[in-house]
Amino acid sequence: MRKRSRTVALTILGAAAFTVAGCREEQVEAQAFPDLASCQAEAAQGGLFTPAECDAAFAEAEQLHVEAAPRYDSLAVCEEQHGAGNCGSEEQQVSNGGSGSIFMPLLAGYLIGNMLGRAGGGMAASQPMYRNAQGGFTNAAGTTNFGSNAGRAQMGTQSFAQPAATAGRAPMSRATAASRGGFGGTGGSRSSFGG
Amino acid sequence: MQKITLPPRPDLATKAADVGFTFAHMHGEPYWDESSAYRFTLAQIEQDIEAPATDLHAMVREAVAEIVTSEALMTRLGIPTAHLDLVADSWARQEPEIYGRMDLAYDGTGSAKLLEYNADTPTSLYETAAFQWQWLEDQLEAGVLPEGADQFNGIHEALVERFRDLFPENTDIHFTAVADNPEDYATVEAMAWAAREAGMGAHYSDLDKLAVSKDGQFLDSEDRVIGTLFKLYPWEDLLADDYARHIAGSGCMFLEPAWKAVVSNKGLLPVLWQMFPDHPNLLPAFFADDVADALVANGRPVPAVAKAFDRVADQFRRGHVVKPIFSREGASVSIVEGGDVTEASPNSDYDAHPRIVQAYHPLPVHDGFRPVLGAWIVGQACVGLGIREDRARITQDLSRFKPHFIAE
Repeated sequence: MRKRSRTVALTILGAAAFTVAGCREEQVEAQAFPDLASCQAEAAQGGLFTPAECDAAFAEAEQLHVEAAPRYDSLAVCEEQHGAGNCGSEEQQVSNGGSGSIFMPLLAGYLIGNMLGRAGGGMAASQPMYRNAQGGFTNAAGTTNFGSNAGRAQMGTQSFAQPAATAGRAPMSRATAASRGGFGGTGGSRSSFGG
Repeated sequence: MQKITLPPRPDLATKAADVGFTFAHMHGEPYWDESSAYRFTLAQIEQDIEAPATDLHAMVREAVAEIVTSEALMTRLGIPTAHLDLVADSWARQEPEIYGRMDLAYDGTGSAKLLEYNADTPTSLYETAAFQWQWLEDQLEAGVLPEGADQFNGIHEALVERFRDLFPENTDIHFTAVADNPEDYATVEAMAWAAREAGMGAHYSDLDKLAVSKDGQFLDSEDRVIGTLFKLYPWEDLLADDYARHIAGSGCMFLEPAWKAVVSNKGLLPVLWQMFPDHPNLLPAFFADDVADALVANGRPVPAVAKAFDRVADQFRRGHVVKPIFSREGASVSIVEGGDVTEASPNSDYDAHPRIVQAYHPLPVHDGFRPVLGAWIVGQACVGLGIREDRARITQDLSRFKPHFIAE
């Protein structure tokens, strides 16, 4: 019986193994609107999106808001994260069956990505926007912060990742680094760690 | 097992350059050296290396199951008190192992002896799994090797299969190694190729670029949450780093798993000898503290190992090797014969660690070089062989890689 592989991976040209799978994430044209009316107004003047796309994106963002807005067990905790006056109970914001003792941030705008049919596979073409504690805005997963809820920008497709319902975030979603560089200190003078 | 002189491939330098094998020469000496190769019979490979190494891995797993239930043993193996649970839990969860390399002493006859098990961060994966394989194919084609010659090298295929078995397709796996070391990087990249062939996403960040989010999850250099991390960085260093406190709560699966901290650890060797005394593939070994009085002062070993030591005392007096529990590439290792240190590594990086002593088993000598056989384990089975040889009795980072082939 043959004792060797039929094929092997021969090339170790720098980052070859990683460039395809780990390439820089795709950038999309995206625009934020504080409400549906401002999207419609811009569409009427030949903006990035059509009136129909405004409607669809707004509906999608509202749906995501219901399904995946961050939820808190008290108004105080919610306002810590999103600022005073920017939260309401689930009961107030979800049309049927919301609880009066669960609190969510109020929808403060929505973000549409020009996904050109690439939505799906964990990507939503639009996202609800919420106030963050710093007076700016954030997406549903809290992974991207924005200074304003109006304006156009190139941004990574990960900003449109489906927000997870769980507390921890799914692998490959964006998060803000609290610190960096805490591994590698012990090796000291050694330059190789294999053997 | 014979060492046979062979003509190197005329286009070797070009071939190495083409595939990015930049460290074929290191420290002014050839590292990859195909001017000769080792020849084995199929019986030597299958009966003396493959089967025993697979058995040894199973014994190692039994030893881990014992070690993680004993705080005293884990402490002896240098596991920091704060991380005893991390190691024990990783075993309790049966976190999967990917790979390891057993270093064996073998001369073609009798039983191969386990010198140590680099089960955490073994390198030379690329040269073993890929470049050695290409050498065989090229030399078969050139008629340099006998028709039908084979090689014990199913490593790449076994890795692909291992990733496929362990992870759903499209799982994102992050890889990390210390920056700017082509040798370590080659091993990481060879691993990443296998993961990609198995349908995984592979992402690389330098070790010092990893971050922690405010939720305590590890992030890569582009702030993406890491779910699975292959790290070519030893557990004993990870556990001493600032970020060690984040590991348990990070939700990140580490490859190799934390329980490898008690395997890739010379403290495993006395535990194995105690559990499997007189096993043909083991060399007698003890914690140095337990037998130091007997070895250097004509005193007695501690009672717990006195009987076991007495049975091999003469062998130890003739020759034994002193090894720190953590050590790479021969650092801080010395050989003691008849009471005198007859060889010592010039590299003292690991002098601060506790030590073990192991009966001295000389390596065979071929043309002035001493080969150490690297038996590669993927998952739980031995699937390949890579050989490094050194002029010195302690194999160090100046050693050369030698290809091998199987022919009757």
